Amino acid sequence: MQPVKANVVTPLVKSKGLNAANTRRMRRIIAEDTEWSLAIVPQLTELCIQHIVKNFQNNPILKQLIPAHQQKVLDHLSPDLPLAVTANLIENENYWRRCCTQRWPVCHVSRHGGSWKRLFFERHLEQLIKHFIPGTTDPAVILDLLPLCGNYVRRLQVDQFLPPVRFPTAPRDRDHQSDSGSEGEMEEPAADHYPLRDLVAGLKHLEELDLVYGVKDCGMNFEWNLFLFTYRDCVSLAATIKACHTLKVFRLTRSRVDDEKARILIRSLLDHPALEELDLSHNLIGDRGVRAAAKLLSHSRLRVLNLANNQVRAPGAQSLAHALAHNVNLISLNLRLNCIEDEGGQALAHALQTNKCLTTLHLGGNELSEPTATLLSQVLSVNTTLTSINLSCNRIGLDGGKQLLEGMTDNKTLLEFDLRLSDVAQESEYLIGQALQANREAARQRILSPNQLSPTINGPEKPAG
Amino acid sequence: MNPTGPLGILEETEEEHLSTPILGPSVHSENSQERIQARRLRIAARLETRRREALGEYLDGKKESEEDQTRSYKQKEESRLKLAKLLFCGTELVTNIQVATDIKEIQRRVEEEEIKRQRLEKLENEVKTSQDKFDEITSKWEEGKKKKIPQELWDMLNTQQLHCAGLIEDKNKLINELQQELKTKDDQYVKDLKKQADDICLLLERIEEQVKSVMKTFRQELAHIEKAFEIERQELLANNKKKWERALQAHNAKELEYLVSRIKKVEEYERQLNKQRIWDCEEYHMIKIKLEQDVQILEQQLQQMKAIYQLNQEKLEYNFQVLKKRDEESTVIKSQQKRKINRLNDILNNLRLKYTKQIRQFQEENHSLTSDYKRLVIQFKELQRAMRRFAITDDEKFREIWLMNEEEAKGLIGIALDVDKIIYTHHLGLPWTAPDLWFLKNKGPISQQLKKSATEIVEEVLMQTEDEGPEENVSETGSYLDLPALGIESEDDLYKLVNFFLKYQAHHLPWNQDQSSVAVGLESEKFSLEAGKKENIPEEEQEEKEPPPSPRLIHPNDVLKVLEAFVMGLNRPRDSYMPLKVRKEVRDNSKDSEYWEALAQVLPVSRQNLWDALYAALEKYHLILTERAKLLVENSSLEQQNTELQMLLQQYLGSKINSQLQVPPTQVFRVPNKES
Repeated sequence: MQPVKANVVTPLVKSKGLNAANTRRMRRIIAEDTEWSLAIVPQLTELCIQHIVKNFQNNPILKQLIPAHQQKVLDHLSPDLPLAVTANLIENENYWRRCCTQRWPVCHVSRHGGSWKRLFFERHLEQLIKHFIPGTTDPAVILDLLPLCGNYVRRLQVDQFLPPVRFPTAPRDRDHQSDSGSEGEMEEPAADHYPLRDLVAGLKHLEELDLVYGVKDCGMNFEWNLFLFTYRDCVSLAATIKACHTLKVFRLTRSRVDDEKARILIRSLLDHPALEELDLSHNLIGDRGVRAAAKLLSHSRLRVLNLANNQVRAPGAQSLAHALAHNVNLISLNLRLNCIEDEGGQALAHALQTNKCLTTLHLGGNELSEPTATLLSQVLSVNTTLTSINLSCNRIGLDGGKQLLEGMTDNKTLLEFDLRLSDVAQESEYLIGQALQANREAARQRILSPNQLSPTINGPEKPAG
Repeated sequence: MNPTGPLGILEETEEEHLSTPILGPSVHSENSQERIQARRLRIAARLETRRREALGEYLDGKKESEEDQTRSYKQKEESRLKLAKLLFCGTELVTNIQVATDIKEIQRRVEEEEIKRQRLEKLENEVKTSQDKFDEITSKWEEGKKKKIPQELWDMLNTQQLHCAGLIEDKNKLINELQQELKTKDDQYVKDLKKQADDICLLLERIEEQVKSVMKTFRQELAHIEKAFEIERQELLANNKKKWERALQAHNAKELEYLVSRIKKVEEYERQLNKQRIWDCEEYHMIKIKLEQDVQILEQQLQQMKAIYQLNQEKLEYNFQVLKKRDEESTVIKSQQKRKINRLNDILNNLRLKYTKQIRQFQEENHSLTSDYKRLVIQFKELQRAMRRFAITDDEKFREIWLMNEEEAKGLIGIALDVDKIIYTHHLGLPWTAPDLWFLKNKGPISQQLKKSATEIVEEVLMQTEDEGPEENVSETGSYLDLPALGIESEDDLYKLVNFFLKYQAHHLPWNQDQSSVAVGLESEKFSLEAGKKENIPEEEQEEKEPPPSPRLIHPNDVLKVLEAFVMGLNRPRDSYMPLKVRKEVRDNSKDSEYWEALAQVLPVSRQNLWDALYAALEKYHLILTERAKLLVENSSLEQQNTELQMLLQQYLGSKINSQLQVPPTQVFRVPNKES
């Protein structure tokens, strides 16, 4: 330190008499001046913008600025600002992108309509609901957010609803649970989940509702009580979706919805003005619930119906087939992992002979066998709308496979036909595959578009990538 | 990673369904190394086939153009198909896990159902047997009650106890079994969880693998396609080069041809040019000769023209000289004129000075004269006033004298007339009529009707208006107009005003005549006009009034306008009016003598003659009367004598002596007494 200082000072003293000012100007670093810096004094606009950024929480000035300055302010705003300030003021996607990336490491903006703001609010709201504990958390936490996010949320995807906490009675409950599988009526009212009614009523643009009444990652702490979709929950949800006229997609999966609850829900959806997709997969819906769904088919404009992994049996499939026979809206029907058996399969096949709308049919894992295959092969030669059929995990058998192959020879529209693990001869399957390939080529030629392969790419691969 | 049960199944299915055409290392094998190797092999094979194809195509020159178009397309198609297949297979590979779990789940369900059914059956059986046992036990209770011997009872109770214990044991066993089952289920659940986690891991791995391979193959295919395009491009380049060269050669040949033909043409043109040149030369000469001739002729003409020019020049020079002279003269005249103008200007200035001087002088003069004039006017006015005063006094005097004389004459006339009357009535016994003569009634100077004074007129008018329209406010009319303010001093002015009004009315308001509201105003105005003339007019001036024109009606709004116009007109002739007035003062006395003459002749000559005759007769009558008077006097003296005598007689008779007498004298005298 000492020698350096001396070095610097001495030449200055020497030359002071001659051209002190000159050297001062010439030199770029002046050791004595502690406040000296190379940086130029920032412009007043810069200072103003910095100030605005610093005080944005108390005095949000944005709309009054010219676009260039707005951009600067937005670039420097902290993503931690309270939503009450930013929600309705800032439209800039970059800001919301920063907010999102700061909170979540993985963000799929394409799943939220390409809007970072929407992504932010939807995920924020979903997180709040996910961690809402009825009776403990203040409902205002969510409802306060409503005026801020009401304009941006279009989809609500909640895969967890926490049950109310009951510390003192917990052990007793567990005893009960272990004794009897089904929960007693007296426990139900206490186990209600967060009611969505107020929230959904406030979301003006809500189009998609994807709910799972259950707890995620419970692991070894499993209790049936954690997965209890109560009667009151059901009634409340039914009223909620009935009041929401913008709803297009409704999903309620893995929530142990039984026939009664399914009927309540579906009754509330009758003649809904916008509903296009209904997904009740992975529940406990039996034939009565399916009968209600079949009624819904003729009383709505439903395009996609998913009842995978339920307890649908032959009568339910028959009622569905009856509704399907003259339906003109439904394009996709999924009955995977049910037990409709040949009786139901035959009914559906009969219905498909008259149906002119359905394109996708999933009947995987339904205990189907040769008679259904026989009828389906007839359908294949007649129907010109079906593009995808899934019959995997059935017992089609060798003869059934042959019959299906026969049906395929006349078909020019089917693009996918899944017959894995269904006891079909390899040869038949290979030939069917060839026919499908030919159909795919033909379809590609028809639309003259190279994106023909997209359905096969996008379907299962997207979640991974 | 340990391939678990379901994965084993899966692999089987894979081998069943995804039998790829390539033998050896499978793309769908579990081992990643193996898969990579398999893919490499596949790619190599693909490349080889493509090269072979390319070579074949290259050698095959015939199909070149057609092949060219399709090669890249083909490559694309091929790549696409391969990729599609890859994707399809990969997707299948990934979804296989789902399918496997599905079928496992179905199997589990079937098994579960079977177990459930068995369990239910077992439970039912158990219930049935235990119920039987229980029934047995309960029936035995009845039996026991009947037993009286304690030994038996004890035995029975013991057996009952044993039975019950057996029953309970059975139940406990069942419960234990079920609990065991539950425990195994719990274990199963844990296992399932683990398996699920494994499955998910596997799924993720496969997906990743798939993504990687897909990306790789996509890149490779892209490279292949690019290469194909490159080759195609090179071929195209070569082809085009060839074409180009060929075209160039053809072009060169043509160029040469063109050159030869051009040389030929040039020669021909040269020939033609020479011919043309010769012909041109000849023509040129001919034209030259002709033109030279023309030049000569023109030169001659030029000479002639020059001569004419000379002549003209001389003439013009002479003219010029003449004009110069004239110019000089005119300059002289001009200077003279200028001088004259100067002189005249001087004069003009002098005259102007004089003129201004005179103007000033005259103005002064005018001033003095006007002041003189004003003074004179004032004097004149005073004089007039004096004259008027004198005139008035003269009038007064004249009038007094006149009246005096008239009175005297009238007295005389009255006497005469009285006399006449007496004569007529008393002496002649004729009825007398007083002579009705105009001058008798006359009073004051003649030719001057005694006009009512202005106040009288006003009064009269007021009376009249009261008679006609009592509604008119009379008191206001007097002060209705201030006439002196209007400058009306005389009666004439007044009448002028009235006439003016009438004219104005005739001109402007012929249609407003019957407006009663205006009538009153106009009348009152007129009367007030008459009233206003009072002292200003000397009596002598007053002439016979024209009968006032019938009052016409003027709108009160117009009155002011009319008055204004009248005043303007009146003020103008004011000055020239004065001498007229003076002249009018000369009185007409022609009739005076006549008047007086008439007064003198109040009794006609016949009557004088009568009077003369009467005088003569009366003279005679007087004489008679005087005689008679004398006689009367004699008579009266005689009578007096008589009476005196009678008295004496009486005295005589009355004396006492008579009484004493025998015959009194009285008696004798009675008779005469009686007679008297």
